[in-house]
Amino acid sequence: MDERAFSAAQGFLLAAKMYWTTTLYRALRDEFLAKSSVDQKEQSVEDVAAILEDSPLYQYFAWLERHLQRMKYAGRYGLVPYHDERRGELLAALTGDAELDRDLELPGYYTGVDIHQHPGGLWSDATAALVYERGARSTTPMLGEAHKDLHDRFTDVVAAAGPPRRILDMGGGFGKSTGPLAERFPDSSVESVDLSAPCVTLGAHLAKQRQLDNVRYRQMDARSTDYSDASFDLVTSTMVLHELPTKALEELFDEALRVLEPGGRMVHLDFYSIPDGFRRFIHYGHARRNNEPFMQPLASTDLAALLKKKGFVDIEITPFKESEEIDIEKNDAWRFPWTVVTATKPEVSS
Amino acid sequence: MTTQRSGRPEQQLFEDPAVDRLMGVLMALATEHYVLRDRVRALEGQLAKTGTLDVSALDAEPTAAELAAAQADRDAFAEALLKPLLGEQQAKGATGPFSLKKK
Repeated sequence: MDERAFSAAQGFLLAAKMYWTTTLYRALRDEFLAKSSVDQKEQSVEDVAAILEDSPLYQYFAWLERHLQRMKYAGRYGLVPYHDERRGELLAALTGDAELDRDLELPGYYTGVDIHQHPGGLWSDATAALVYERGARSTTPMLGEAHKDLHDRFTDVVAAAGPPRRILDMGGGFGKSTGPLAERFPDSSVESVDLSAPCVTLGAHLAKQRQLDNVRYRQMDARSTDYSDASFDLVTSTMVLHELPTKALEELFDEALRVLEPGGRMVHLDFYSIPDGFRRFIHYGHARRNNEPFMQPLASTDLAALLKKKGFVDIEITPFKESEEIDIEKNDAWRFPWTVVTATKPEVSS
Repeated sequence: MTTQRSGRPEQQLFEDPAVDRLMGVLMALATEHYVLRDRVRALEGQLAKTGTLDVSALDAEPTAAELAAAQADRDAFAEALLKPLLGEQQAKGATGPFSLKKK
């Protein structure tokens, strides 16, 4: 496929997604409000489902959510065939010093589902990270190019407690979260670990391009790293918690607690705080349609109680503004329920 | 051309799964239509710029050689248009109907 055709097709799909994000979502919300007779804050997901699931508008909304994403990745003008056609040239251009672990056994929850409807997932093909990087540019169509800004805004949250010295970014992928941390805190040393060999390879490449010499990309399971106890004063993750089944989530928190020094902080950006039944219904539906099997379990877990049980203190769960312009209360377009989860390792273990 | 099949049934989002598949056909067609529209716009723009656009030549019936040359493109177009009728998901994941209604 030629570049113009790929660009036109992807541009059309993104324009359709924008229409879905704004006009169709608002129409669905209006239909729900018109049919709903009780306070929406009181409504359960099941209540909303009973009102909306038979609605033709909801069915088209759901279909477009699933299939605009499918067409973005697969099919004649998809990201996967586009990158596959160019694989030799694209892969030859990758440099950097990623630390790969050829013997790493990938967990079943990770390989069992092609998350985001990315055929083959983020791990099974060498071009997967390039596909993911390109796809992530339009994951949140309302943000457009400002998607990058989201990660910079996350570094503001981290910086509020003072500059960290040693950072572990769990599930750092190709560096969309890790890169801004390394740039924002040039005197820190940053370790980015991820299960995906293609992702850490691209992460190291981009770090080299940006001349970031305070960051390492390593292929490793964040639940069982090789770092010594108390190696870091900050552990982060961005959009990782919702990719984990509950048992793996607990193991991730256990590992974070182990590698944090006493008084060290853990800060996660994920999708969690959902204010009403309608948006919870939309979020759970998104999870199903976008191949995110652990998004619903995360959103229905009592994270504060879990973190307390794990031994963390000063637990805070706060809605996150993904861009300067967004007004969380007044926003009436589709958006992820962005949330920052912070917790601290006690100074003295209890 | 051999159509690659996953064998995994796609999620059902309409009451009648035939509508799911038909929508797939329609959206593939809409995408292809937009790609074409974009290309024609670009082409006409370039030709107009150089003053070489000959409208009557554009309207003329294609020759047998021109038709033969476009065969592979037509095959790929037909596959992209009709593959959704198979009703199979491209990326492996949850399958079948979905409801959050009270059981």
